[in-house]
Amino acid sequence: MPSHPLDLAGRAILVVGASGGIGREIAMLLSELGARLIVSGRNEERLSETLGLLSGTGHRIEIADLAESERIPQWIKSITSVSGPLNGIVHAAGKQVTLPVRMTTPTNIDDVFRTNLYSAVMLAQGFCQKNCYTQEGGSIVFISSIMGFVGKSGISLYSASKAALSGLCRSLALELAPVRVRVNCVAPAFVETEMLKHLQDLLLPEQFEALKQEHPLGFGNPRDVAGAAAFLLADTGRWITGTTMVVDGGYSAQ
Amino acid sequence: MTRTEFLKSMDTMLELPEGTLTGSEKLKDLEQWTSMAVVSFIALADENNRVTLSPRQLSNCSTVGELLELAKVEA
Repeated sequence: MPSHPLDLAGRAILVVGASGGIGREIAMLLSELGARLIVSGRNEERLSETLGLLSGTGHRIEIADLAESERIPQWIKSITSVSGPLNGIVHAAGKQVTLPVRMTTPTNIDDVFRTNLYSAVMLAQGFCQKNCYTQEGGSIVFISSIMGFVGKSGISLYSASKAALSGLCRSLALELAPVRVRVNCVAPAFVETEMLKHLQDLLLPEQFEALKQEHPLGFGNPRDVAGAAAFLLADTGRWITGTTMVVDGGYSAQ
Repeated sequence: MTRTEFLKSMDTMLELPEGTLTGSEKLKDLEQWTSMAVVSFIALADENNRVTLSPRQLSNCSTVGELLELAKVEA
């Protein structure tokens, strides 16, 4: 047992969706806690920026498009053949679309679920392959969303995919408990990322202000979410599995 | 997509009888022009004309015709 309960020294953790926003902040915090990271995403330039922001040494980048979910288990094998078995995985890649149900096609559904859910299932499958996780077990963290618990008009596909992550994590937690692999979600509300800045550009000022007012503690910042992910990955989370940690500034308390 | 076809798609989107919209309608007079209709129009423009629009841009329109111009629907 490490001296500090959040100490991640010597742990190897894969963070997918690490090229910006919440994923990048999670990678940064985990590196500060001593973890050795494999940061993954689609954009090499942005991933290199993330790499430059990490503390410590021994980190590396892996370019990958999670939409090609069939390839994920083999990809995890190839990563662990270089880095050794992993202690944890964080799935922070996500796709958000605003699309009324009247305009929705099966292609739209497949598109959102491919990025948000199929990839999560296949990452878990990849992680629990022989020699891909450590003998002590491991921890999988999916970044879900408060929109998986509460509704908002026009984002039903996104909500459904995020709610599916919470269901996935509960059953996976039971399936993987015998090999000491824990599976949990973190469900944030709106967080100050580039995505939120983009949303601010799209909305009318009064719409954006109304959105902010829906958060009793204001918008979150990526580090608020990163802290929860770190807690679930470290020994602090050793008896926590199959749950979703809500980190939403009081959004869902109303 | 022609102007007539686009207007027909808007009729369907707003649950109006086909052929209702002509372009001259004032948005403030259309009770079906809600925030969800705004989002639907953005999706329609993207899907049919590959034009990316924002609610902020749409808020400057006062008629259906101005919406069509924004979505680059041929006159």
